[in-house]
Amino acid sequence: MKTEMTLGQFFPGESVLHRMDPRVKILLSIAYIVAIFLCHYVLTYALMALFTLFLILISGIPFRTILRSLRPIVLILIITSIINLLMTGGEGEPLFAWKFIHIYEEGLWRAGFMAVRVILLVVSATLLLTYTTSPIALTDAIESLLTPLKWLHVPVHEFAMMMSIALRFIPTLTEETGRIMNAQKSRGSSLSTGGLITRVKALIPVIVPLFISAFQRAMDLATAMECRCYRGGKGRTRLRAYHLHFSDYFMPCLFAALIVAIVLGNKYLPDLVGWGYSL
Amino acid sequence: MSEQLIVCEHLAYTYNADTPRDAVPAVRDISFSVARGEYIAVLGHNGSGKSTLAKLLNLILEPTAGRLTVDGVDTTSPDFSEDDLFEVRRKVGMVFQNPDNQLVATVVEEDVAFGPENLGLPRAEIRRRVDDALREVDMSEYALHATHKLSGGQKQRVAIAGMIAMKPDCIIFDESTAMLDPRGRHEVLDAMERLHRDEGIAVIHITHYMEEAARADRILVINEGKLAMDGTPKEVFSQAETLRGWGLEVPQTVELLMALREAGFDLPIDCLTSDECVAALLPHLAGEADA
Amino acid sequence: MKILEVEQVSHLYGVGTPFRTEALKNVSVGFERGLITGVIGHTGSGKSTLVQMLNGLIRPAEGRVLLDGKDIWEKPKEIRSVRFRVGLVMQYPEYQLFDETVEKDIGYALRNQGLGQDEIRERVREVISFVGLTPDLLEKSPFDLSGGQKRRAAIAGILAMRPDVLVLDEPAAGLDPRGRREILGGLTRYRDKTGTTVILVSHSMEDMATYCDRVVVMNHGEVYAEGTTDEIFARAGELDSIGLDVPQIAHVALSLKERGIPLTGTLYTVDGVKNALLPLLKGRKTP
Repeated sequence: MKTEMTLGQFFPGESVLHRMDPRVKILLSIAYIVAIFLCHYVLTYALMALFTLFLILISGIPFRTILRSLRPIVLILIITSIINLLMTGGEGEPLFAWKFIHIYEEGLWRAGFMAVRVILLVVSATLLLTYTTSPIALTDAIESLLTPLKWLHVPVHEFAMMMSIALRFIPTLTEETGRIMNAQKSRGSSLSTGGLITRVKALIPVIVPLFISAFQRAMDLATAMECRCYRGGKGRTRLRAYHLHFSDYFMPCLFAALIVAIVLGNKYLPDLVGWGYSL
Repeated sequence: MSEQLIVCEHLAYTYNADTPRDAVPAVRDISFSVARGEYIAVLGHNGSGKSTLAKLLNLILEPTAGRLTVDGVDTTSPDFSEDDLFEVRRKVGMVFQNPDNQLVATVVEEDVAFGPENLGLPRAEIRRRVDDALREVDMSEYALHATHKLSGGQKQRVAIAGMIAMKPDCIIFDESTAMLDPRGRHEVLDAMERLHRDEGIAVIHITHYMEEAARADRILVINEGKLAMDGTPKEVFSQAETLRGWGLEVPQTVELLMALREAGFDLPIDCLTSDECVAALLPHLAGEADA
Repeated sequence: MKILEVEQVSHLYGVGTPFRTEALKNVSVGFERGLITGVIGHTGSGKSTLVQMLNGLIRPAEGRVLLDGKDIWEKPKEIRSVRFRVGLVMQYPEYQLFDETVEKDIGYALRNQGLGQDEIRERVREVISFVGLTPDLLEKSPFDLSGGQKRRAAIAGILAMRPDVLVLDEPAAGLDPRGRREILGGLTRYRDKTGTTVILVSHSMEDMATYCDRVVVMNHGEVYAEGTTDEIFARAGELDSIGLDVPQIAHVALSLKERGIPLTGTLYTVDGVKNALLPLLKGRKTP
């Protein structure tokens, strides 16, 4: 109740991104990753950032929310940047040297590139997938995209069903955890004081009841599903149908244009502009 | 289509029947039948066997003895196939106690669609059934809401809609009101009564709240795994002493009238509503009104 | 004498999100020492928030919670000692059981309190008699108990702390009539014997009528009414209008009074209404 889930949170809306077919969005997310790894030149990175800005604008999701989604990765960003700064050697004079620490211009560029790459990846993934796609649409899309694997006897339907049930029960179990923690606090357990071992020990009274309740719920749910004639994916039909609309054709074209621009940009822009660093 | 929807003959169920040492008989030799469109309450204290009985009726459990016939099909016959089993489950739906543990999907309409999807119905038909079912339980405006944000009563109504969408002949409510607050209980009871009245669906309501049981047309009292009483609410609640001995209660009106009868007044005791009770008392209070 | 008070307490959930809700609005209420006070209201009336403030699970955004006249949040680091003095039994407490044996589980709070083994043993044995568990169950795993027994073991785990104030959130939810009577009756006996102040949260007006000395009615995050059980049930018609389930017997009494029958006394229990009716009824058969 108090802590709203931030991971995988969906913001209902009517934007172009919201209305796109979830399958297309998954494929475009993959295209985005390809595009970002194709970037080798500072200006193609800038192009990528501009394009991401464009996606944010059309999604209608406030910048503040996007920035908040970056909070969990701040630490990772700092650590990778430091490693890149220290570990990258250079040809010219170091910009900074003290004892064994040498920082070259190359290291600075590389750290910057890496940081931008991670930020853009996180922003695009949350934007295209979690923020604008409902969990159920996402699992549907995964099931649909993985359908060819059925020929290889991969249990695609079961996998998708498990995922959607997990999504369904995340809020229930989060609430339950809060309730159990409160119950044990009321019995004088202190989850926030003491050393590591004390804290781990204090978790047992929370974890044991949580597991037991989760198993009970799983049994109940299995019975309830049987009562509703669930017998696996065979012969099942679906309420939801996904139809491709204009944007589902238009956005892939845009992505294709972007990738072409990046490839060409990497190759010709450094000579044309005569400035900037290339990886 | 047979007249009797469900026929139980000497039905019995024992938990751990394979290991005689741990065997726990829960249902012993119960016989009764349910007519189409009937509204029945099954009353009994915790551990009386009433929930086991419910699980037998839609074949979550297989009886260890006796015979169960659903819509003319003998479920204990050797010819009874898996397809028949799912057909019985479609005809006899079940709403459980814990509202959180029976919703499958994150979105209301997706959850209601789950049953029809399993039946392999065409998309347009699923859509029609989902919309109708949600309207029936008065939840249409919540069709696109997240299931976990609903109140307990609303969750149970979604579960009921999930059953209606499968077009059953009977819905069993296995203590479906036990975890709800008074408002939620009223919502579920109202939905239940609408099913019975408007849709002609038979309702079997398992409960230990006597005021809820009093609303049904017929009450079965289960005690120690046996069918102890079978009659109209008035008939059943007239036997207040026996019910109390089984750990059950009677409506407060019956309690009051019984106490007054013991004090020597000639009053009926089978008044289950406060209006009936007032009507029974008034003749004995003639001339007391201070108006 | 009030042992526990909340003073002008307000509380909001989800500040800064679209789900912002006001759970409590400037609530002030006190609980008398040694009495059983009922707290009743709908889901969402704010009673759960109020209850969790009483033992410091929720810190009020505004206002104070006073235990024996002292602000429980004066020293936030010592809030744990408040939880031993204000024992809270949460809803469906059987979900908090975790230890190997019933005995260990009931003793969990006592170990947290730092009590010695002998003291714990003695207290556990004393407390199970109040909740109606037998000593032979102590060696069992709590998960092998029946539903009703689990509930009792969980309540015992709080009683064992010997709190000054015992707060119970729907302790009888989901139990059948006999189980209800046994648990709530057991609490009354516990209060009579120990003099503990009890706060009983319930949806059931019948429980209020049967077990409580005083009643607090919550509605939309505010205290709607407060007083002795007699005072509260004198307003039965009003309670009906805010959608609380007034006991059937109170309806009978109300409806007779509306027809001009001069009933007086405790008009919300079967015995009370019977005693009010006896002098007025005519046509008694000669025995």
